Amino acid sequence: MSGDGSAGPPPASPLPSPGPLEPWPDTVRWQSVSSDLIWVELIRLAMVLIVLALGLGVGWAVSGSGFFGAAVGVVLLFGVLRSVAIVRAVRAWGYAEREDDLLVRHGLLVRRLSIVPYSRMQFVDVSAGPLERAFGLATVQLHTAAAASDARVPGLRPAEASRLRDRLTALGEDRAEGL
Amino acid sequence: MSDPAARGTERPGPAPAEPGVPPGTTGPGTVPGPAGGPEPRQRLHPLSPALHGAKSLVVVIAGLSWSTLSRVGFGWFAVMAAVLALGATVLAVVSWYHTGYHVVGRELRVYEGLIWRRTRAIPLERLQAVEVVRPLLAQLTGLAELRLEVVGGGKTEAPLAYLGVAEAAALRQRLLALAGRVTAGTSAPPPGLAADPAGTPAAPPGRPLHAVANNDLLVSQLLTPQAFMIPFGVAFVVAQFLSEDSWSFVAVASTLTAMAGVLLQPVRRVLDDWNFRLARDEGTLRIRNGLLETRAQTVPLDRVQAVGVTWPLLWRVKGWLRLRLEVAGYSAGEADERNRPDRLLPVGDLATGEAIVAEVLPGVRLEALPLSPPPERARWLNPLSRQVLGAGLDARVFAVRSGLLTRQVALVPYARIQSVRVVQGPAQRRLRLATVHADTAGGAGAAARDRDVTEAWVLAAELTARARAARRAG
Repeated sequence: MSGDGSAGPPPASPLPSPGPLEPWPDTVRWQSVSSDLIWVELIRLAMVLIVLALGLGVGWAVSGSGFFGAAVGVVLLFGVLRSVAIVRAVRAWGYAEREDDLLVRHGLLVRRLSIVPYSRMQFVDVSAGPLERAFGLATVQLHTAAAASDARVPGLRPAEASRLRDRLTALGEDRAEGL
Repeated sequence: MSDPAARGTERPGPAPAEPGVPPGTTGPGTVPGPAGGPEPRQRLHPLSPALHGAKSLVVVIAGLSWSTLSRVGFGWFAVMAAVLALGATVLAVVSWYHTGYHVVGRELRVYEGLIWRRTRAIPLERLQAVEVVRPLLAQLTGLAELRLEVVGGGKTEAPLAYLGVAEAAALRQRLLALAGRVTAGTSAPPPGLAADPAGTPAAPPGRPLHAVANNDLLVSQLLTPQAFMIPFGVAFVVAQFLSEDSWSFVAVASTLTAMAGVLLQPVRRVLDDWNFRLARDEGTLRIRNGLLETRAQTVPLDRVQAVGVTWPLLWRVKGWLRLRLEVAGYSAGEADERNRPDRLLPVGDLATGEAIVAEVLPGVRLEALPLSPPPERARWLNPLSRQVLGAGLDARVFAVRSGLLTRQVALVPYARIQSVRVVQGPAQRRLRLATVHADTAGGAGAAARDRDVTEAWVLAAELTARARAARRAG
């Protein structure tokens, strides 16, 4: 799993074929995102779960109905499953810079790979929420004229994020052909 | 209420209510608008506020609805409607006084707003299409609205409402000429725009490509599910009428309004696509249509992002199809479908469709698209429609077919592909299938569903490579 950035499908894949997210393994050098993103996502999940569990717990204490207890259990179980999914999803997230385009892949259940040519770039977003900042992370998003294009790379170190941003901007300017 | 807000709420509002305007004859063809030099800031036509007021009257009446009418009586209803419409008109006058536009270099600048001043500079090199819209009232008064589609705008930029017809035509010509010069500099020169100096008077109609027979249009809209509902609706009203002794005016009126709502779409299509004329003027497509509200749309051919072909189920009796034109700028931001004039051919047979597609995307033949179906195991996901699905790489376009009942073909020129995506859901993973999307700046792009995984990767690589080559070639 640790080598996810460079090769190999996730072990859960039922198929022995080369990873379905590795279309051109020899030409593409995948880079993985920072594993600190796991913590960011886990904390986000925990906050939601705590609010839910507290609400249900109060309901349980007040009414004493077993239904609320079961609900708390379901919420906690969901939390555990989701945490596992988060850990694996973050590891599955990767990006690669090729000569003419940026590749981004993500998703566990539904796997997505986006190929976005630099020349189609309209603008680049770099954003970092409070939680992301606390862990020293940032998100880079490349926008094209198509609403469906989906090239978002979360969990980048600020230095890497600005490097990527500058590189994308430079390449985009070089080859700009917006439409 | 602030000035821009007033305009903002007023503009999209009237659209649904407009078909309610009683039909009438078309107005005088051209009434010369006020002439003016290009440089000073220009006002919109002085009659504009009156038109806006009249439009808001329709909205107000629709907003007050039947139940209000029955509750307060006709007199009070009229007073309420008049007061609200008068208020809207006053706002429109104030707004008109503070609205102006002029062309500066390669920009169109539009000034508006009283309290919150707003100046929009619209870069003309990003102009995608220009439309001259003339609602019924505008036709009667010899006015026209000019709409510009610009990339990146969430909705139609700068609807200049209203200008004199001659003024609108001249401004359109000028804007297209300005936009074309830039295109000529960066990519393949569209000869039409370059050879179309602003001096040419009275828009030349160009070479006519096709005119849709109004009979065909009517028949085509009768062959829609909505039209098939008419007998049921009528039966329902009659039953209600007979069974309930205490039927009231409101009940019947409301039922009729609901029925009209169902029929709105086909009726609108008939009204909108009436007298559909398609012409080619060198590098641009000119589309004219409309009965009550006429639209004249001008689309440079190199701005066409994708072409969609649809064969609705009920039209197969006649062998008809419909063509759709995707232009960047008519984005999802327009909630109202009516404001997305994307029709390239409202109804026509295969031969007509072929001819028009060949005109827009040279070298593409609908009958000879190299489509191949997905592998046999895709039937688990598409039990009935596997044979219908298809995708293929033609010389200049990526073609995708889908839809069991309503068959659809999407044609995306390689040069217009924005990005390529490969998506694989859990079921697809088990079956070793994947879906390849080609995204375009307008419309939904094309999605080749449920291809074999290895084929999908090859397809994605090929699409990326061909898109790059097509971009390089200009």
